Amino acid sequence: MNGKLFVCAWAAEFPSQALLRLRTDWQTEPVVVLDGRAPEEWVCSLNRLAERKGAAVGMTRLEAESMQGLRLLKRSAENEAAARAVMLECTAKFSPRIEEVGGGAGSETACAFVLDIAGTERLFGPPAQLAERLREELATAGFRAAVAVSANFDTVRMKAASIRGIAVIAEGTEAEALVKLPITALNLDEEYAATFALWGIGTLGELAALPEAELVARMGPKARVWRALARGEAEHTFEPIETAFALEEFCEFETPVEQIDSLLFVGARMIDCLATRAAGRALALRSLTAEMGLEGAVTHGCAIRPAVPTIDRKFLLKLLQLEIGTHPPQAAVVRLALRAEAGAQSKVQLGLFAPQTPEPSRLDVTLVRLRAMVGEARVGSPVLEDTHRADGFRMEGFAADGGSEAEMEATPRMALRRVRPARAVRVTMRATKPAVFRDQENLYEIAAAYGPWRTSGCWWALKSCDGAWDCEEWDVLAVRAEKYSSGAKAHNNFASDTARDPPTGWAPRSCPFKTPDSFAGFDCSGGALVACLLTRDRARNAWRLEAFYD
Amino acid sequence: MPTAAALRLEIEHALERRFPAALTPAPRAIDEVATTGIAAVDELLHGGLPVGAISELTGAASSGRTSLALQFVAQRTAEERACAWVDVSDAFDPESAAANGVRLKQLLWMRCREEAGKTAGRWRAKPQWTRLDQGLRATDLLLQAGGFAAIVLDLGDTAPEQASRIPLATWFRYRQAAERTQCSLVVVGTRGYAQSAAAVVLECVARNAEPADGTVLRGFEFAVRRERERQAPIEITTRKPPAATWQTHAAWDTDAGRLA
Repeated sequence: MNGKLFVCAWAAEFPSQALLRLRTDWQTEPVVVLDGRAPEEWVCSLNRLAERKGAAVGMTRLEAESMQGLRLLKRSAENEAAARAVMLECTAKFSPRIEEVGGGAGSETACAFVLDIAGTERLFGPPAQLAERLREELATAGFRAAVAVSANFDTVRMKAASIRGIAVIAEGTEAEALVKLPITALNLDEEYAATFALWGIGTLGELAALPEAELVARMGPKARVWRALARGEAEHTFEPIETAFALEEFCEFETPVEQIDSLLFVGARMIDCLATRAAGRALALRSLTAEMGLEGAVTHGCAIRPAVPTIDRKFLLKLLQLEIGTHPPQAAVVRLALRAEAGAQSKVQLGLFAPQTPEPSRLDVTLVRLRAMVGEARVGSPVLEDTHRADGFRMEGFAADGGSEAEMEATPRMALRRVRPARAVRVTMRATKPAVFRDQENLYEIAAAYGPWRTSGCWWALKSCDGAWDCEEWDVLAVRAEKYSSGAKAHNNFASDTARDPPTGWAPRSCPFKTPDSFAGFDCSGGALVACLLTRDRARNAWRLEAFYD
Repeated sequence: MPTAAALRLEIEHALERRFPAALTPAPRAIDEVATTGIAAVDELLHGGLPVGAISELTGAASSGRTSLALQFVAQRTAEERACAWVDVSDAFDPESAAANGVRLKQLLWMRCREEAGKTAGRWRAKPQWTRLDQGLRATDLLLQAGGFAAIVLDLGDTAPEQASRIPLATWFRYRQAAERTQCSLVVVGTRGYAQSAAAVVLECVARNAEPADGTVLRGFEFAVRRERERQAPIEITTRKPPAATWQTHAAWDTDAGRLA
């Protein structure tokens, strides 16, 4: 016993498998994959249903189209690359030492990997059990693969390529396992293949039975290697590949997709695969980027970033659906690529006496829904900016665990209700103080005005549009008068001590104050008195109603 | 002659199938309240605004309802709880909130906007919502999401004729969701809209404006009247609704902070 043990996973007809893997609705249909440029396209791969229907590799497009019920797909190199990465990821769960053997001469449409599984019995059980689990793992990812186990590298490769199920070859019986395989399994040159055909040698068993010295004398030194391969005795230096862990999925559509539901039907399967692959490494998805190729060679992208890394497929799909719904592509989608960033699986330990906070995943969905409704920049936590400019703040994303913040004293302070955008008003002055102001709807009789408070900033900016401001602020107490309809009489007791009589057509909302300059014990209980913040832009001499005190 | 206790036992036994313990008062559950941060108002409300219920702060402009709501949110965020402010009229002032002690990082501010144009293209068009619809839907989503200690639905600048059209079923749904998630839903408005779904209705009124040296506005005095309180003990002798007064001061007025 040499202590070596190999397993080979062989996915035949890989172009069709790569295309059908994410399209579960096509898996029950006969499908052929066409390669080459039109009009010289030919069938390079097909599924089992198409094979039963009589389709074969090498058929022209015309021949394939003449067969009823056959679905014709175009070969996609990007799709195959993404599928190969997924298959490699699946096999990497069983062994870190992997060598790729598919895609060579004679197996252009296959994707195959040989794994060095020596010493894994205690992890995965006996070889038969490991082969079964490997095949199941690949089936979960959407691949139909043949699996062979042997102590000889080339034996498992050739055996796996010739079967559809599982073959476990005991050590010392390699030659017997290969005896019925056709000699084409050796990928011989045409010249040598013709010679063997002339000799009547059609299987590996017949080749293995030939005497070595005579064979080498007639065919040259290469014949020694072929004979060793046929007997399952060839030596091979294992060349493991470095598997770069990249969470990517790609799908190209046959017809442009215009409905979000159709797009997400495929997207769901892709997210499922990404989550499974991440979970296989005890990781979760920290972010997910969707890149959509649109009609007209335009791309459209969107990204989701859950509050905590997750592998919850439904949750990720919901986020993606809402994100695409918020930022829909402007044309039909012809291909979809999903790239994920892996992160550590989060485990939140809640405290018994900790205050309740929103559940991160539910909060994420809620925030995305809110953003979809009112816009990206209108949902979040406000952050005050280091400026004296009025209404100087910016919005940041809301996190339930906002982190510690400087302790503020909770003394009741005068609060403002902003008018956004600030409302332009016309102000009448009396003795350097505003006396009456009006906007388009209301007229306000000012009872008291406090100010001005002058404020300016960014005056060093070259252009006024760069943010320079120079204002004076007035805090005013005013009584609102409503515009009455024509024919109705104004109240007689309208304030008569103002700078000028109010314009006709305006009536105070309630009894005005009689002593506007005395505020000690001033009664505002009528409800019509409002406290406002007026500003005057000194550069433009324009008045604005900025806010109400409330 | 049977004693009262025996009679009661007999009646209760007879009605047992229909009314369990018919003549025995049900034990009163202790309703959780959260402080508003204003002692006078807390005293008026027997501890504060109810948790898991709807409270309404009503009043005209400049009546102190926003200041009261900010104080309440400040108290809740000081306990490291998450709060939300659904701003139907986009009138929330973060500077005032910070001055009142609100921890802005723990506040989710949702600013409703005017209706936007329909989405072009072949993809599904976004539904168009008015400001009020946006606010109601956002409140619904936040209540359903759970985890928020307080949600303020600010209808302060919404016309009463619009807000009065909010179906009563919506308020009852809010009440149930608030009860389930133990969230205090505070509705700021010109008048009460939630009707019987509200546990507490406070009417805010401006009382005094306090100038300093006649040149600057130093603060306001507000009055709060309790219009309705579902959980309050029955007070038969009270003729007028109970009221309280409180003051706010300018942010620069440090003396007021010390005195408070």
